[in-house]
Amino acid sequence: MTTNPMHQFEVYRIGPEIILGSLNLSFTNASLFMVISATLILILLFIGTKKNLLVPSKMQLISEMSYTFVAKMINDTAGSNAKPFFPFIFTIFMFVLFCNMVGMLPYSFTVTSHIIVTFVLAGIVFVGVTVIGFIKHGIKYLNLFVPKGVPVVLLPLIVIIEIISYLSRPISLSVRLFANMMAGHTMLKVFGGFVISLGILGGWLPLSFSIALTGLEVLVAFLQAYVFAILTCIYLNDALNLHH
Amino acid sequence: MKNLKEISTRLEIAKKKIKDRHVENDGSNVSSLGVGLKISTELVVSVVVGATIGFILDSWFDTKPVLIICFFVIGAIAGIWNVIKVAKKMQNKIKG
Repeated sequence: MTTNPMHQFEVYRIGPEIILGSLNLSFTNASLFMVISATLILILLFIGTKKNLLVPSKMQLISEMSYTFVAKMINDTAGSNAKPFFPFIFTIFMFVLFCNMVGMLPYSFTVTSHIIVTFVLAGIVFVGVTVIGFIKHGIKYLNLFVPKGVPVVLLPLIVIIEIISYLSRPISLSVRLFANMMAGHTMLKVFGGFVISLGILGGWLPLSFSIALTGLEVLVAFLQAYVFAILTCIYLNDALNLHH
Repeated sequence: MKNLKEISTRLEIAKKKIKDRHVENDGSNVSSLGVGLKISTELVVSVVVGATIGFILDSWFDTKPVLIICFFVIGAIAGIWNVIKVAKKMQNKIKG
């Protein structure tokens, strides 16, 4: 039996075809798993905050831990100025985390393994942070591209370099998440294919690799959500507190 | 009065302990792995972004292939510059 390791990333339509002008708005398996992730987050937080026990239940503990985790992350990296943006960063963190984790379940679909999804998330962060920077500092926000203590001769080059590194933010943000998720899931599938093709005699070695890789992938799923959120905080910090 | 003073010194010591522990934890936790992932991708992506900008400008000004070469190099410089900046920030954090 040969299976295509890329087959798992195929997007297909579920239900009727909805075409609005030149847009295809049909409900796909990707949309389904986004809805599932969002629903799981809502259920977790709803049950977790329903009864405010002094000694928390497991659900309450999880939701409170996720709250303090994100709150601490924002405080450490972006300072107390960024407190109003807590809901945004919490939403991004939980959404990416749940999409990654739901993708780890067998027969599920990993939404974050598609670059368009991660690129839209990163694009929202990029545009949002730029707009916030301009609202907060006005035209002075462009000082971000002019570092302090640089000789005048080098200034044009440095400005171009800074602009390139600023423009590379959304791309590095999206490519990192997408590439990690896709590579990990492809690798799992390839090792799974080896188990079947090597049979009962030789299949044990790739099977043990598969198990180890599953553990690694759970770590990566969490880590990528964390990195995505923390980089959002860092970019927000640049926009809120210029030159710090 | 004496009691209050004693409490405040004890509080100070406890706060310092918490601070020390925090610094100890900083070295080997998840965020270090995050920093590693961050700079490794930025190193690669800056080159790609630089080359793309060069390619677009080339087709605007019809100067193939001068600008793509220039911006490829500038992109590489930007990537390395970013790594140096992050490394410097980390060093400052360790120092104080």
